[in-house]
Amino acid sequence: MSSTTALRRAERALEIPLPRLLAAVLAACATLASAFALAAVSAYLVTRAWTMPPVLDLSVAVVMVRALGISRGVFRWLDRMITHDVALRGVVSLRTNLFIALARRGDDTLTRVRRGDLLSRLGDDAQELGDHVIKAIVPGLVAVVMFVVVLATITPLSVLAALTMLAALLFAGALAPLAAYRAARLSEDAVITSRSVVAASALEILDDATSLRLDGRLDEHLVQLRGDQHEHDAAIDRAAVPSAVASAAVPLAMILAVTGSLLAAGTAWLDNGASAGQVGVLLLLPLSSFEAATALPAAASQYARSQAAAARLGEIALPPTAPGPDDPVPDAPADTAREVTIDPDRAHLRAVGLTAGWHADAPRIRDLDLDLRPGSRLAVTGASGTGKSTLLSTLAGLLDPLAGRVELDGHDLASLSGRQVRQGVVMFAEDAHVFATTVRENLRVVRADVDDAGASAALRAVGLDYWVATLPRGLDTMLGPDGTTVSGGERRRLLLARAVLRRGPVLLLDEPTEHLDTARGNALLEALLTPGDESLVPASTTVVVVTHRLEAIPEHTAVLRIGDGGHTVLEEDR
Amino acid sequence: MTTTTARASSPPPAGAMGESAPRPRRSSRAPLDPRLVREVRAARAHVARTTALGLVQSACVITTALVIGWIGARLLVDHQLPQHAPAALGLLVMALLIRASAVLAEQRTAHRAATEAIADLRGRIVSHAARLGPRAAAGRGADLTALATTGIENLRPYLVGYVPQLLLSATVTPLCLLTIAFLDPISAVIAIVTLPLVPIFMILVGKLTMGRSERLIADMRSLWTQLLDLVDGLPTLRALGREHGPEKVIATLGQRHRASAMGSLKYAFLSSMVLELLATLCVALIAVSIGMRLVYGEMDLAPALAVLVLAPEVYQPLRNVGSQYHSSTDGLAAVTATFEVLDEQVPADGTIAAPDLRTSTLALRGVSVRSREGSAPHEATLRIPPGQVTALTGASGSGKTTAAQVLLGLLEPERGQAEVITADGTSTPISSLERRSLWDQLVLLPQRPVLPGGTIGSVLAAARPEASAAELEQAATAAALGPVIDERGWDADLGRSGQGISLGERQRLSLARALLSPAQLVVLDEPTAHLDGATEQIVIDLIRTLRDQGRTVLVIAHRSRLVEVADHVVRVEAIAEVDR
Repeated sequence: MSSTTALRRAERALEIPLPRLLAAVLAACATLASAFALAAVSAYLVTRAWTMPPVLDLSVAVVMVRALGISRGVFRWLDRMITHDVALRGVVSLRTNLFIALARRGDDTLTRVRRGDLLSRLGDDAQELGDHVIKAIVPGLVAVVMFVVVLATITPLSVLAALTMLAALLFAGALAPLAAYRAARLSEDAVITSRSVVAASALEILDDATSLRLDGRLDEHLVQLRGDQHEHDAAIDRAAVPSAVASAAVPLAMILAVTGSLLAAGTAWLDNGASAGQVGVLLLLPLSSFEAATALPAAASQYARSQAAAARLGEIALPPTAPGPDDPVPDAPADTAREVTIDPDRAHLRAVGLTAGWHADAPRIRDLDLDLRPGSRLAVTGASGTGKSTLLSTLAGLLDPLAGRVELDGHDLASLSGRQVRQGVVMFAEDAHVFATTVRENLRVVRADVDDAGASAALRAVGLDYWVATLPRGLDTMLGPDGTTVSGGERRRLLLARAVLRRGPVLLLDEPTEHLDTARGNALLEALLTPGDESLVPASTTVVVVTHRLEAIPEHTAVLRIGDGGHTVLEEDR
Repeated sequence: MTTTTARASSPPPAGAMGESAPRPRRSSRAPLDPRLVREVRAARAHVARTTALGLVQSACVITTALVIGWIGARLLVDHQLPQHAPAALGLLVMALLIRASAVLAEQRTAHRAATEAIADLRGRIVSHAARLGPRAAAGRGADLTALATTGIENLRPYLVGYVPQLLLSATVTPLCLLTIAFLDPISAVIAIVTLPLVPIFMILVGKLTMGRSERLIADMRSLWTQLLDLVDGLPTLRALGREHGPEKVIATLGQRHRASAMGSLKYAFLSSMVLELLATLCVALIAVSIGMRLVYGEMDLAPALAVLVLAPEVYQPLRNVGSQYHSSTDGLAAVTATFEVLDEQVPADGTIAAPDLRTSTLALRGVSVRSREGSAPHEATLRIPPGQVTALTGASGSGKTTAAQVLLGLLEPERGQAEVITADGTSTPISSLERRSLWDQLVLLPQRPVLPGGTIGSVLAAARPEASAAELEQAATAAALGPVIDERGWDADLGRSGQGISLGERQRLSLARALLSPAQLVVLDEPTAHLDGATEQIVIDLIRTLRDQGRTVLVIAHRSRLVEVADHVVRVEAIAEVDR
């Protein structure tokens, strides 16, 4: 998808109503027109006054000059307010549309997005498209309107002046934005490539300063940083040339407009019998005709930035057309395709010839066959980075298999809808989010019908009841950045409490006891992994746990070991 | 990822949308940081050059106004066509051309100056912060990295956008005013009376709206955090099959955020309205006053036209300064933060050469280091005898790593002392040792090892250049690097700083390097933190090998199995300060 198409789609997702946009453009035009009219009327006033007419003849002009002196400021405020309101509304729509699109996507895009990326896409990039409205769309439209206004004002006075003005406006209106656009693209590239290298280089030194100093390698790294910085500087420098050209375009265009208008004023006064006031306008107006054009370089560089932001948004989720919340969205494949309901108490999960991984050329798991009957318990072990979490994501239908398939009650996960899959299998990731809300709401994330008794029971099962008792407002205590901070161990147990509340039929847990002290962690693992143990989950629930606490795995529980190169060994009877 | 998150979770850049951001006002300070000008050559040259170009632009503006006034008056009064005065016309074109060139030159050099200033300061920050020791960096943490990576980039808009306009308002504004005074004193009086109103009204509006907009900003910030919290939690919601529904909350929160943002912008834009209002109103007043005097023949046409051209030019730089205010606060904040880092004293290096660690004992005596909660470690006293394995244990946060840093002369404790005691009993404080001579005798394996760039083979060989191929192979085997080498070969490129391999592999490679290196003291900080049980045994065997070679090992660990190998176990404890 080209960046222009992506930008068009992002603009549509802003869902800006035309009347609001027009109001913003109108207010901005009124602001610029006030200044333009002020220049024209005061030029008229001064040259007309020079002919010494009765003072009354000037009163209209005097009143107009004073009024225009005030109106600009007022219109300016209105223009800022309306434009920002339109842009902020647009950002809200865009963000909501993106959220919906991401939530409804049937494929594994969301699993593949890195965590920080989601925040910067829906945070910064959406904001960038708000800026697109403020700095690119509105000023661009305003420039077109004002060019017409300027030409319409000058043409009745002198066609020659109007023609030179047209040429000057076209020059400024084309050269300045083009150069600025080029500069923005160049510096965007520089930012993407060399600046991140510089930042990485600086970060490395700051993070590892101690080791580098002890090893005597600090100076070597500082030299490297200087080298990286030098390359970045060269890239930035290339972008600076067109950027400077853009800012000089308006003063250059002014030369043409001013000289053309001066010569035209001569002809108008001596040959065509124009009035002194009209000649005054011709003499002085060209200097005030370029205000709209001076905003164009900034508009063009914003346009370049918006394109980049839209392209990034397009990579994760951009609705082809902005869908309303009630529109049916194809949730690949559609729910209606088959009437499959998963029994909430028991489900049979199988992996058949499963190869899993993030990239086709680097599979983490190869040719895995796994048969998890209802109520079975399995521990997954392996060195760090071997693909334990990848396996869970794939079994949960959050990551598409590279080859082979995962079956739920005999149906390939790929043929089921997201909703149907989640009815059967749910994964509790190691880095699952703890929301900045109350303890209760953080548990109700699993099921809306969790009551206080259920919540307390789950918290007791994972040993968090004492912790909740110490909280100032119990289950109503706010967690997260603005509330109570949660320690690593408490966080794990809170996530485990969610799994307990979920009950079944298939639970996939990633390192649920990391950061817990040995005794408590082992006890919880044992309860999860002992077949038939009902202290945490019902006996009919299938539980798969990734752990590296080998010593805590109960004797008769099956263990899947993931070795080098994605080869797996299943020890069913130990 | 740290940088992206920091960026994304920063408060809503409502100010990024549009020019004037409502933000808490910082204490007033010079709009041009004197230290920046004094200490950064590129910035100094930039200011000088921009001032000179400002003077050139002023001359051009004034010439343009005078020539247009003269040509206009000659045309209207004397009926002389402009083309009959080619010299004047040529002068006008020349003035406009020079002005355009001055703008071009100014922008071109401004970018280069910003680039140089940023490069200069970033280099200084990084090299200074690296020498400040672990404490200084830890105290600032994310702030320091944000400053060195993105924060310092705020100097660009400041130097390219704000400073030139500031200097133009110091050159163009007074020179145009002077010319107006020369041409028509009454207009000059109007301008002089109204000019101070601009800053006065700006300050008044600022004071009037400050409390309100700060409340609104706090509100906005919390709505924004809630919004991003939901976004951040979307993968979790989806994994639980609960991803439908929150979009309504996203929309509602978004609308509330918009409403409060608009509320604060309402006040923020008041100042830009005042600026525009005063600037245009003054031009209007001057025009009317000139017009009234022309009617009664009290003024000539030529100066009247020239003043009319000059009047807006007096206010233009001020208006530009106002619209760039945002970049000035960010830029100045970056400068202040930079000099705060640079002002911090680097601990002095000692002068005494370190004694041979093969026969000397390192020791801590009553060492306490202040921590966020109190003191960690608190009153640590321990000895690291040569040729033996000492384990440092303690709960997390008890100051084990900090104690080791004090021992290695990286950190000055608040109380107590680190010292080295030779075989004959002479004790020397670590702080008076020449650090290099101490560090050359030890290797440190941090939790996240840092490797030089290169291949597996070259990185291992760098640990001991004279090592034979057999010795390299032996070390690699001892550190269980066999499978990695079998899979990728000795020549596998590790990328920059070993980023190309996993953390566990990096750790094993570092262990092999420690084994190869001739350093007497080996310090291992939680060497099994990222390894599984099987690899733990390798580390234990390695520590035994090191001891058999007669080396001194200090291992920081709270896992029981590592502690078993140690000859001595020292427990480090922290205390939390109760009454503060």
